Amino acid sequence: MRDALMLAAALAVCLAGMGWLALAMDVHWEQVRGAGQPHGAARRLRWLGAVALAAGLALCLGVDHASMAALVWIMALGASAIVVAMVLTWRPRLLQALAWAGGR
Amino acid sequence: MFKNFRLAMAWLHTWFGLVLGFVLMAVFFFGSLSVFDREIDRWAIPASRFEPQPMPSFDKVLRPVFESMQPQQESLDYLKPRVNGPLPERFDTVRAWGAYTTHRDPVLGIYANYEVPNVKDHDDVAYATRTIDPRSGASLPDDRLKIGSRFFYPLHYSLNFHWMDLGYWIVGMAAMVMLIALVSGVVMHRKIFREFFTFRPKKATQRSALDLHNMTGVLALPFHFFFAFTGLVIFAGIYFPVTHTQLNPLHELHEKLEAQETGLPHDRAGVAAPLASVDAMVAEAQRRWAAKGMAGEVGYLGLTHVGDSNGYVSVYRAGTDRIALTGQGIHFKASTGAVIREEPAPTAVARVGEFLTGLHLQHFRHWMLRWLYVFGGLMGCVCIATGFIFFVEKRKKQHAKQGSQGSRAVDALAVTTVTGMLIAAAGMLIANRLLPDALPSGWPPRGDLEQYLFWAGWALAMLHAFARGGVVAQGGINPAWREQCYAVAAMAVAAVGLNWATTGDHLLKTVGEHYWPVAGVDLFLLAGAALAVLAARMVSARAMRAADAAAASPLQGTADITDMAASAAQKKEAAHA
Repeated sequence: MRDALMLAAALAVCLAGMGWLALAMDVHWEQVRGAGQPHGAARRLRWLGAVALAAGLALCLGVDHASMAALVWIMALGASAIVVAMVLTWRPRLLQALAWAGGR
Repeated sequence: MFKNFRLAMAWLHTWFGLVLGFVLMAVFFFGSLSVFDREIDRWAIPASRFEPQPMPSFDKVLRPVFESMQPQQESLDYLKPRVNGPLPERFDTVRAWGAYTTHRDPVLGIYANYEVPNVKDHDDVAYATRTIDPRSGASLPDDRLKIGSRFFYPLHYSLNFHWMDLGYWIVGMAAMVMLIALVSGVVMHRKIFREFFTFRPKKATQRSALDLHNMTGVLALPFHFFFAFTGLVIFAGIYFPVTHTQLNPLHELHEKLEAQETGLPHDRAGVAAPLASVDAMVAEAQRRWAAKGMAGEVGYLGLTHVGDSNGYVSVYRAGTDRIALTGQGIHFKASTGAVIREEPAPTAVARVGEFLTGLHLQHFRHWMLRWLYVFGGLMGCVCIATGFIFFVEKRKKQHAKQGSQGSRAVDALAVTTVTGMLIAAAGMLIANRLLPDALPSGWPPRGDLEQYLFWAGWALAMLHAFARGGVVAQGGINPAWREQCYAVAAMAVAAVGLNWATTGDHLLKTVGEHYWPVAGVDLFLLAGAALAVLAARMVSARAMRAADAAAASPLQGTADITDMAASAAQKKEAAHA
């Protein structure tokens, strides 16, 4: 149970991390918020995204042997990126949930 | 020949990708299914629908089964021209017995190898395989095909085309081309990071297909790269068969030296000896693993030189919690049960090898990683399919003007390898449920019949795709896409219904009992059906829009204008680059 929760958490932070990395890009920020990025937002979002992805790796390492955790993490990164891209295509507003990190 | 490196790469990517893409499509799709090969086996062989079992007792269950085995006809037919004189009636000199299981196997596959007297090449052995119920030792019928692990899985790496091993070579070539396509694709892709998350479905088909092609290629790049690469590593022995050609004497010598070093006899002594309790050896192996803090189940159990005083028993730990398939081998003297050798920790190189093959073959226990692999594989399919669509969309207007049939042929082949392949697979599952348990005499074995129907379904889908493709030669959309999507949906639902009707295992029951192998296959089929309907409707909508546009402007549809603008912009960029 603990393992399942940690893996779910790993997926969730990878998803959030990819979401922040996407929001760090001007085009996607506009898709989500309908206006240009505030000053310095890109930097902040990029850092936050990187930290979230690293946290995902840490969570994976907490569950499995390192060799397996690395595979789970890499696959989770790819899957989250595709999910974020699909959200941006069909329901960009959903990413509002992450946009607070960019500031107003 | 080419103005710059990028154009050269684009040419390479387009043409190599096109030709071997058709093979890669099957490799990716059946590879994705192979992630759950054993679960598909459960679906196809209702008698095997029970919980996975650990390795059974050798002394009580396996020994009587092994002792009752004799080489199968297929093996004898192969050997007939390879011996001097006739083959013996019975084979009593056992070279090896073996059993391999994983945490997902209810039934146990076992094999036996026998020495063949007067054989020309002493590496040749007679072999027998059998599948048993490990709870009782009872054999399962031989004519039941394990559709997952014995058809879809080998299709993934050999196309089930065994003549001169050509299937392996074609797939190996396709894997090389996959690596080339990945590298050349990255080179020719101008905006990897800028368009990392970009998919614009509302643009013209050519543009949105390219978006999807780029996205599924780039985002799953590590997966694509590693699987193509490790697939080649796994079959390196086939692609570079040096150990049994140029280096054969060296290989022989190495085997003998290794035998001296490890104390595991290379040959029989020729002195008969009894067999001590193998269960006691297994218990000792498990005690030693537990003492190392690696308590575990037996993955592989093997006996070599059975009945001889040089005989030994090898016990390997199942790699359920590791990437490596098995490990921590311990070898015992068969006649006494004394430990001959405990394998030392693998070297760094061996560990890398185990990791590379293990990550591809995935016999470990990690359901999330399994599903992520399926996802990666299906992304590969999307990438290849959208590559075909882009190829056709880019050329079909041009071809229509020139009266060329080129894009029509490519499109029909794309239909064949995308939806046609699904029709073949679903048709096989339907055949599996519809064929009677006992076939009339004179018919081919049940499993063979299922395979014939698979290929027949695929051939029919191909005929249909070519027959309906005339529209493409005029710049339109092949109605076969839509029709085959509906066929896939209907067949997938029919397979689920037939599973219910013939076994009584409907979804409410299997989900309620948490019997996920069968519930999972059913749910996957239903999800596939839903996606197929969705795809069919989207194809219809696109075809309608294209027709409207063509009617509104007889010379050029709006889609064409955006297409032309896009390609003009591209040309400009290319000129700048």
